[in-house]
Amino acid sequence: MNQQEIAQYALDNLIKAGADKAACTVSCGRKEEFNVEAGKFSLLRTLFDDSLSLKALCGNRKGVTVINKLEKASIDKAIEDCISLAKSSLPDEAEDIAEKLENKTFDHHSSGADLDRLFERSKEFVEHVRDEYPKIILEGMTADYNTNQIIYLNSNGVVFNENKDYYSMSSMFSANDGEKASSFNFYEAAFASPDTPFADLGMHSTLLAESVKSLDTRMVGGKYVGKVIITPACGVIWDTILSCFISDRPLIEGTSRWKDALGTKIADSKLTMSLAPLHPGIIAGERFTSDGYESKNTDLIRDGVLSSFALSLYGSRKTGHPRSENTAFYNIEVAPGDTSLAEMIKGIDKGIVLNRFSGASPGPSGDVSGVAKNSFMIENGVITDALSETMVSFNIVDILGNIPAISKERCENGTCILPWTCFDGITISGK
Amino acid sequence: MLKDLLSVHKTGFKDYTELRAQVNNTKRVVMLAGNMVTNVQSSEGGVSARVYKGGTFGFASGAEYSKQGVEKVLSAATDNAIFMDKHVNRSKPPLPSAQSGNFGLTITPRDDIPQSMLIDFASTVDSMIADKYGKLSSRSVIANSLDIEKLLVVSDGADSHFYQPRSLVYVFLTAETDDGVPVELFKSFGGLGHFDEIFPNPASLTEELDILYESLMKKREGIYSNAGLHKCILHPDLAGMLAHEAVGHTVEADIVLGGSVAANNLNKRVASDLISMTDFAHTALGKPCPLPVYVDDEGIIAKDAVLIENGILKSFMYNRETAQHFDTAPTGNARAFAFSDEPLIRMRNTAILPGESKMDDMIASIDDGYYIVKTGNGQADTTGEFTFSVELGYEIKNGKLGKAIRETNISGVAFEMLKTVDMVSDDMNWECGGFCGKKQAMTAGMGGPAIRCELNIGGR
Repeated sequence: MNQQEIAQYALDNLIKAGADKAACTVSCGRKEEFNVEAGKFSLLRTLFDDSLSLKALCGNRKGVTVINKLEKASIDKAIEDCISLAKSSLPDEAEDIAEKLENKTFDHHSSGADLDRLFERSKEFVEHVRDEYPKIILEGMTADYNTNQIIYLNSNGVVFNENKDYYSMSSMFSANDGEKASSFNFYEAAFASPDTPFADLGMHSTLLAESVKSLDTRMVGGKYVGKVIITPACGVIWDTILSCFISDRPLIEGTSRWKDALGTKIADSKLTMSLAPLHPGIIAGERFTSDGYESKNTDLIRDGVLSSFALSLYGSRKTGHPRSENTAFYNIEVAPGDTSLAEMIKGIDKGIVLNRFSGASPGPSGDVSGVAKNSFMIENGVITDALSETMVSFNIVDILGNIPAISKERCENGTCILPWTCFDGITISGK
Repeated sequence: MLKDLLSVHKTGFKDYTELRAQVNNTKRVVMLAGNMVTNVQSSEGGVSARVYKGGTFGFASGAEYSKQGVEKVLSAATDNAIFMDKHVNRSKPPLPSAQSGNFGLTITPRDDIPQSMLIDFASTVDSMIADKYGKLSSRSVIANSLDIEKLLVVSDGADSHFYQPRSLVYVFLTAETDDGVPVELFKSFGGLGHFDEIFPNPASLTEELDILYESLMKKREGIYSNAGLHKCILHPDLAGMLAHEAVGHTVEADIVLGGSVAANNLNKRVASDLISMTDFAHTALGKPCPLPVYVDDEGIIAKDAVLIENGILKSFMYNRETAQHFDTAPTGNARAFAFSDEPLIRMRNTAILPGESKMDDMIASIDDGYYIVKTGNGQADTTGEFTFSVELGYEIKNGKLGKAIRETNISGVAFEMLKTVDMVSDDMNWECGGFCGKKQAMTAGMGGPAIRCELNIGGR
């Protein structure tokens, strides 16, 4: 059976086996990945990657099975297991699948597979780090080329086909000089072609250079409340908004502090935050949701007003709020502001630039507390020393209303498009 | 159970080669505020090959576990090794030879545990919580099982057949403070074994759930901790996480080569002489470890890695390649999580060893400090700088436990903080409920006694 036939066979047989409604996703892919460890090439990895995901609803009871084998015997067993799971589940009227709107095929392609070029880019980067940043140890790097063909069918007649391929890379590094070592830092990017040197992608060079500067650090003396510039490399604010306040779990549980805030002002008017899988700067973004809806860009916060929750179809039916237009919760776009980064820094007498946050996932209260990593002091409008052992503490709900400036400049890494955002009212403390 | 389709290829290996067939079977049920929001079963398996040539590896994996499937990944891995050798040309000698052997199953695989067992368990526990604990604003119960089976054939070293079932239940309870701020507490139950062996009935959790609820009620009325450096007692669960996150990762030999703080500290004092720490392979202090490893995924017979002995950093954890680099023997720490993952240096069962102090004496010894009981998660740096969340803790005043504290963080630098340890309890807890992340996920055991030390605590 080919991929289309597998999907149709699985869907038909889920219904035959007793499902009232069913959905099926078949994915076939391949990954080629170069690996570097401690500054040296270590591995070339090839993955032949298939998967079949089945969902059955039997009298509002849901079962889901996932397998990675696509021959008939395995598919038949997965169908049997899926029905068995559904029948032994608890009924829930909120369970459903997407209704048919318009069937589509999505093609989003890179410049084509060019492993030799990818290898040359990887080699060039390893040599660039060695030559330009002799104090940097490239702890690890991967560079990969990925191709996927995905088919989604459901029993309401929805059919989506998606064909995509893309490149991505990630690096992890720290600076070392004798007994001195900086904190590790990392950079990740997705891209459509290996035309750009890896060092020139987004903030990559900036972060490498800042690691070297971080060999000598200073600790904040005492404790004060001040301004913090969160750079595009640090996702703590945006991730917490999604996980603690507007996604399925906190809203179904009723623990979200914004459960009744839809349509109300929850942040400074300068803030507009979106999920943007279709943005041209986002590589291989989501084209349809796992529920079976075509993905569209959507604002979560517009001009400071909470405009949408990030709910799945189930979460929507459970809470009575509209579902999100997409489920690409990692494709975050924050609108630019009207202040240049230089002006933003100049306007801060005492604060820090936060590149990486090391701390626990915040709980439902929105209290966030952790260590400022790869971060720098701002004193009298100038970035000065790298920080060590400095904690930042704040409550997300409180500080969103306290945004003095958002930068005009933004940074793209193929997954997110973010500006530098200045927050006030953050507790900054040393030992 | 996996059939051996691998051994037949062994005579054809030219360079150092691993062939691994593997299947990971997962069951997961999530009850959220009384709703069954997840009911999923997955089975992901296949075969992988890794070939070493001149200092680099070629690797390939595929889902099809058949004669043709094995030949396909073996051919692709060999091609990848040749590509890398040609383009990178590290010209390194072959990997040193390792002790041979053939290790069979220590646990018999079972596939007779239905998903309905997890569904019934989770929904019953959920009902117990809803019926009994009146001041909750929400609750969540997760029942989870993960069975991993591997068949490994290597060109040099020990072949093995491995099977490890892990069954866990997580309970999250949420309440609100008087001013409407939600506070949460969770606990994980279970460990090595099949679900019905670990969880004979939901009532077996009653006592622990009562304690969890009582602790949440205290946390609900908790106070902010006083930010700064304080004398603290770390509960054994935290000491285990500290051993894993803040010290363990820095002494993985690949991280050492990547510039970790441990690189310059071998045979130097990194802790008070009360601290000894080992990454155990399969047996610790005469008892089986939470997640025993007898042979790693490079065919190395696993042995304990003594990391810190009486405060002195003694050694690292090695795979074949880093052992060659450091001119020592591999320790059997090379492990892969999925069939499509290459083996990386991973911890197995990492623990700080118990001391001689009594817990009551340790609490009584502090006039003004904190007892840190529970952490949600933690992160550590290659510098040894660490941050852990504090989900549950109490102030200690005049040698007695006081009020609970609200959620905060503790942080420090491992090799500095461990030098402040001046009491270590004579008991020890093991835990294996989470996943360690390092390119791939991995199951790991961690353990330790309570320790008294100085820590930087967040708060106001």
